[in-house]
Amino acid sequence: MGILRLSVFYATLFNSLYKYQDKLINMIRIFILALISALCPSYSEAKNPPGVMPTTSGELVITFDARIGNKDFALNQDFNIGSQTLNFNKLRYWVSNLVLITVQGTEYIVPDSYFLMEEVDDLNLSGTIKDKMTYPANKRETITLKNVPAGKYKSVKFSIGVDSKFNDNLSLRAGELTIANGMSSIVWMWHSSYIFSSIAGSVKQGAETKDFKVETGLNANYQTRTVDFPAPINSTASKGIVLNVDVAKVFDGIDLIKTPLINAMTAPLMTSVANNQATKAIVFGSETK
Amino acid sequence: MHIIGSVSFVIAVTITACDKNGINPKSYGFLIPEHFPQPIFDTGNPSSREGIELGRMLFYDNKLSANNKISCASCHDPKLAFSDGLQFGSAGVSATPLLRHSPALFNLAWANKGLFWDGGATNLESQVFAPLTAHDEMAQDLDQLIIELNSVARYVSGFQEAFNQPVNIQNVAKALAQFQRSLVSANSKYDRYRLKTKGASLTMEEIKGQVLVKQKCQGCHVGELFTDFDFHNNGLDTDFSDAGHEGIYMGRFRITYDINDLGKFKTPSLRNVALTSPYMHNARFSTLEEVVEHYSSGIKGSVTLDPLLPRNGFKLSAQEQKQIIAFLHTLTDHTFISDQKHFLPPNFEQ
Repeated sequence: MGILRLSVFYATLFNSLYKYQDKLINMIRIFILALISALCPSYSEAKNPPGVMPTTSGELVITFDARIGNKDFALNQDFNIGSQTLNFNKLRYWVSNLVLITVQGTEYIVPDSYFLMEEVDDLNLSGTIKDKMTYPANKRETITLKNVPAGKYKSVKFSIGVDSKFNDNLSLRAGELTIANGMSSIVWMWHSSYIFSSIAGSVKQGAETKDFKVETGLNANYQTRTVDFPAPINSTASKGIVLNVDVAKVFDGIDLIKTPLINAMTAPLMTSVANNQATKAIVFGSETK
Repeated sequence: MHIIGSVSFVIAVTITACDKNGINPKSYGFLIPEHFPQPIFDTGNPSSREGIELGRMLFYDNKLSANNKISCASCHDPKLAFSDGLQFGSAGVSATPLLRHSPALFNLAWANKGLFWDGGATNLESQVFAPLTAHDEMAQDLDQLIIELNSVARYVSGFQEAFNQPVNIQNVAKALAQFQRSLVSANSKYDRYRLKTKGASLTMEEIKGQVLVKQKCQGCHVGELFTDFDFHNNGLDTDFSDAGHEGIYMGRFRITYDINDLGKFKTPSLRNVALTSPYMHNARFSTLEEVVEHYSSGIKGSVTLDPLLPRNGFKLSAQEQKQIIAFLHTLTDHTFISDQKHFLPPNFEQ
């Protein structure tokens, strides 16, 4: 019995260690960052006396500004893309594992980094986690990062979707991850996992109109994007960063009239969409001062 | 006492240090049979006695269904190795027969290639949300469930003890996963023979059956767990193109959309197989005799038919079939199906 008790003790101990490991690691990273900045005078700005490390940390707002080309993205409004006219009723995607990278290459890993970006009308989610359920209309384009270590940052790194550790395990909690907002598959289709992105509406070409719904998911389509800034951004002076998300580019090479339904059943098309999201759709927009 | 006398168990507390995120603890609050491999899973849900006990309460609690009339145990009866003995159960809230046969539940700590007949959930922690919410199963409103569980003092304290957190749906999943992983079946007549327990023996017929099972069946029903937990087309049909009911007849294809996975379903364990009729994902066969006859002469060919299966079947003689069935009966674990730790907790009020 002694051994069994010991094992239960270990289980509890490791359970609590496990819960806090991300926080611990981040604290260690921040500590190392501070240590490096203390030891390397080059890290400090020229104005600072050598050897003084910046101790301030502050807020930085990352905006994912949805657009169609140069126009602002909006629901229920016609956009001409090539020979087709698109009208959207839903734009949703998970942004995860945000990392800010300093000019020295040090990474600030944003803790609990799972954010749902979206622009939706009231969504009928009946039959997901309950019989009747409405998700209220919402527009969300910003992520407010708190306690960003002061520094000069050259790029931001993030992923679209949910990494396999969390994607495969709906019982793990982090950030905004939830099975209650319609961005997961918990019943029988696909894997029991998160839907990485979901864009829907109607598409018109000539006399033909079709409803489209384009969704991505599955671990293979989890992709990471690094966006470099044209000039370093000083986190203490800056209010934030705007990233332009060109929704039209998400559909590059896709004919929505021909294939209005894209999901796990159309695996190559789903992968094309995921590639577009990770390689072309999101670029640096501006710095908010 | 006869468990300790006949099979020596080891308690394994393994700490595998350092995946890329740093500490990666794994600890098991259940007993691992000495002839079983180490279970490998990393779901951030180390078992504890409190978690298993909480999961056990939840498993038997009718509150988990929309009409508060059925529990997990309604389709997973411990006396039948947690299967239900039915072809297609209709115990669900809608009383509609399901489209697949209720699987038995044991040795799930080793099932790391996916749950469901098509492997659609990676682990027990994700699997549980499907039966909880599916319209023809428990149809539970998950927000309502948390309210109901919070009205029971035993749960409020139980979640604190197990997870040091209030009642929440993620921990419902974790507790149920812990209970299910604690269901270890390893004390059949075969096991006692295998571990050379004093007085244990198999008959000549059973031993001949064991040799045949090794030769013919253990390509898929591998090792001491008698399953590879993988997905195979075992020749039940020639055509799996019926995409009806969200592809339920297509096998693992409906998950991977890989044409090579058409008609492939998960290998169930041969352990306790005498208790878990009817057989196959669609419960096509009601007796072991029919199952063995299928592999002997009933195999149907198709592109994805498993290469380990001869297209014309194994052509087993009547005597060989009898021997195989005799051996399969030695895999019944009577202590598992009568273990009070697996049953409705004492003093449990619905």
